[in-house]
Amino acid sequence: MSRMSSPSIGMDEDSGAGHALTDFLLQLENYSPSIPDSVVAYYLNMSGFESQDPRLIRLIALASQKFLSDIANDALQHCKMRTSSQINQSSKNQKGPKEKKYVMTMEDLVPALQEYGISAKKPHYFV
Amino acid sequence: MSENTEKVESSCDARRRILNIAVSTVLLETGFHATDKMSLETLTEIVQCFLTEVGNSAKGYCELSGRVEPVIGDVMMAIINMGINLQGIEQYAARPNRHVIQPPQQAPVPRTPAMLSAGSKAKPAPHIPFHLPPLPDPHAYIRTPTHKQPVTEYEAIREKAANQKRDIERALTKFLAKTSETHNLFNTDDNQVFPLIACKPTFPAYLPCLLPTDQVFDFDELEYHFQVANRTEDMPADKKDQSDNEGENGGDNENANNSQSENQDAPTSSSPERNKT
Repeated sequence: MSRMSSPSIGMDEDSGAGHALTDFLLQLENYSPSIPDSVVAYYLNMSGFESQDPRLIRLIALASQKFLSDIANDALQHCKMRTSSQINQSSKNQKGPKEKKYVMTMEDLVPALQEYGISAKKPHYFV
Repeated sequence: MSENTEKVESSCDARRRILNIAVSTVLLETGFHATDKMSLETLTEIVQCFLTEVGNSAKGYCELSGRVEPVIGDVMMAIINMGINLQGIEQYAARPNRHVIQPPQQAPVPRTPAMLSAGSKAKPAPHIPFHLPPLPDPHAYIRTPTHKQPVTEYEAIREKAANQKRDIERALTKFLAKTSETHNLFNTDDNQVFPLIACKPTFPAYLPCLLPTDQVFDFDELEYHFQVANRTEDMPADKKDQSDNEGENGGDNENANNSQSENQDAPTSSSPERNKT
């Protein structure tokens, strides 16, 4: 705990970003991310990362959540592009309000992941 | 479809399901109303791999700088090394429509019921550490012999001895009647009903009386006591009165018997006189 407040040896170079993050870490105590702490701690422990500071766990959970939401936003853009093009094509229909229910499918997810460098190739059916 | 190929333990299943819920929450916040299973599983897998990779890298950076406990700098290095952009993380943390999942409650450990326990477990001795499991039931390692108290009453023992002797005699006579030669009690050919053990007289009958025998030291150990029933030379003094005096031996023995018996009678007759006076 004391290491968080006092600057350590490795953080002397990028003190700006480090201090900003330490400040943010202090704010993090009031906010809890969507993923519970115990689950994140379990997966971190499985790979050897053991931390007694819950704020560090929350930071990692928040980072993963933001990463996920970025991917989801990109997938939503893809989905909107697709449905808007479909609605433009079928504009003669009597649908008053625009279709607002978006369903995430692999068609939207794969190009969104492609921008992040993750290639997800799933088979459509089992052979 | 993907879960058929995966074989996860039940402990990972619960956490995986929570990750599923968290991913669904994030998707809901983004604006999606539904998703198909494959996308959800893909995103869950991505999150799990992300957490594992961050943990691995952060641990590596921490150990690289000679520390054991990871610091925030290690985590930042790990995240930046993976290419994840954390520019707007503060704004993301303070977004208005955030849902929070309740942390899972700890299920109570199912206590195995104490079945088939007989007796109370003994307290461990002081030399045994306390963190070891308790001792098993005492009947598992203590052996106490179980036997009935033997009957010591004189009457019961006499009765038991008498019964045993009678049973032995009966069994032996039956055995001899079945195996050796038998006489028939009735004047019929069939002698299965009341068989009698045949008495086999030796010929001539007076032979053992004429033949000299060895000195007898212990009358109790004799097998054929009737052969030397009238032999009194070796008997101790107090048993001569009880022996049979119908002697078939020579007259010398008889005279010796009479003389010795008379000598014995004289002191015994005098002793009561002495007692009286």
